[in-house]
Amino acid sequence: MPVQSPPAFHGFGLGLRVPHYADFIATQQPVDFVEVISENFMVDGGRPLDIIDRVRERYRVALHGVSMNLGSVDEVDIAYLRRLSALARRVDPLWISDHVSWTGVDGFNAHDLLPLPYTEEALDVLVANVSMAQDVLGRALVLENPSTYIAFADSMMTEAVFLSALCERTGCLLLLDVNNIYVSATNHGLDPDEWLEGLPLERVRQVHLAGHSQGRDMLIDTHDAPVPDPVWRLYARFASRLGHVATMIERDDHIPPLTDLLAELQQARLIAASAARQAA
Amino acid sequence: MSLGDLQRRFIASVSGTAARGAFDARGMRVYANNYRGQLMTAMRDAYAKTRLWLGDEAFDRAADRYIDEHVPSSWTLDAYGHDFPDMLEHDYPDDPDVSELAWLDGTLRHAFSGHDGVAIDAGALVADDWDRVEFVFVPTLRFRRMRSNAVAIWKALADEIMPPGAVQASAGEGVRVWRGGLSPRFASMDARECACLDLALAGATFGEICERLRQWHASAAIAAEAGGLLNAWLGDGLVMSLRQG
Repeated sequence: MPVQSPPAFHGFGLGLRVPHYADFIATQQPVDFVEVISENFMVDGGRPLDIIDRVRERYRVALHGVSMNLGSVDEVDIAYLRRLSALARRVDPLWISDHVSWTGVDGFNAHDLLPLPYTEEALDVLVANVSMAQDVLGRALVLENPSTYIAFADSMMTEAVFLSALCERTGCLLLLDVNNIYVSATNHGLDPDEWLEGLPLERVRQVHLAGHSQGRDMLIDTHDAPVPDPVWRLYARFASRLGHVATMIERDDHIPPLTDLLAELQQARLIAASAARQAA
Repeated sequence: MSLGDLQRRFIASVSGTAARGAFDARGMRVYANNYRGQLMTAMRDAYAKTRLWLGDEAFDRAADRYIDEHVPSSWTLDAYGHDFPDMLEHDYPDDPDVSELAWLDGTLRHAFSGHDGVAIDAGALVADDWDRVEFVFVPTLRFRRMRSNAVAIWKALADEIMPPGAVQASAGEGVRVWRGGLSPRFASMDARECACLDLALAGATFGEICERLRQWHASAAIAAEAGGLLNAWLGDGLVMSLRQG
């Protein structure tokens, strides 16, 4: 049975983080949607559910998870999916997203987005898990490209071709994190523009824009800094090819005042508008 | 190498239980740092007052050892560190304040997002046979007996004032933790309340609780004492309903 895709949605949003809860609840902020970390609200009760209810009164919400463990040889945790499903019934989200990665195996959870080799076997595992999750959740997932720090010699295809095959076989959609493209491409000595070759851009529903930091040996996807110029430039180069998709600033650490993030979001709006004029 | 083998080797490298030789050392260093950093952050968040009490160095040493010995298995980091108070009790056998502070930290944290429960007030106290009445408490209610003044220490640390020195608690004293509305709360209990709450949580009837109070009070005073306890539980929003036993 074909999975149900979320309706198209175009707008500009922010990742909702604890320091800004009160701002978003007290006043209507100039965003079209917010994205929340699903796991923070997959709780039994108390303040987190009160917050998500009050946020939902004002904003459309996208649920973004980090623990679905879709690329693992373990099956997806059904208890996790049921909790997520309950949250989705409460929130009526724009969509549910997670990552093209794995977090653990044999019951061990590393609580990190671990890299996959781009092989037929990994694709088969991912397809099975994504299909199961989509069946339980009753909707197509939106899946994000992670930042990676290791490339596997076993890989038989590029990440873009791997993602394309995943979309083809499961009906899932894509969340393109432009920062992650830049970080992964740089770490593996690839051209970020070439990274995009072969990607089914028509499957992209959402774009993340974020910052990173320079580690000892590699760029690290820390999401703790403003969107840097190379990421803005990459976004500007392919925004015209994307068409209208939801776009947001994602900041997870060193959270600045909300006005700073809204200013960054305004920059994204200007770039998208310019790209739309060029495409017209 | 199969995907399963690759993932098992990868996890062993990330967690430090195997050499990183099978993978690029630069990249694996990032994943290993992320792994340990995530768990350490979770421990520091969950046991913030314990960390203040122990000091950063001693806390991080204990948390490091906990991470070495405890595999994270749940999808949520909130579940990690559950056994930390037990480890501290073993590590500090003569300083019960340390593990009791950690218990308080962890239990308050779980109360924060535990199941909701609507408490009744005194107006809902209607029963045909009070001797056979049992109490249904809000789902976040937990209690433990304390050997130290960890409650006073926790409160001082939360209020950012100089905490008292650790001293031994009177025999049988304890603390209860629950969530009132959206806020986790706690209250100290004397030995009498501790014993009665212990009984009530185990499903004892009001009659059995009154019988227990005979240990401390003369018969003529039992009804007033039991009524006082019940009033305190109702006033704090601990009781969800009455059940005929």
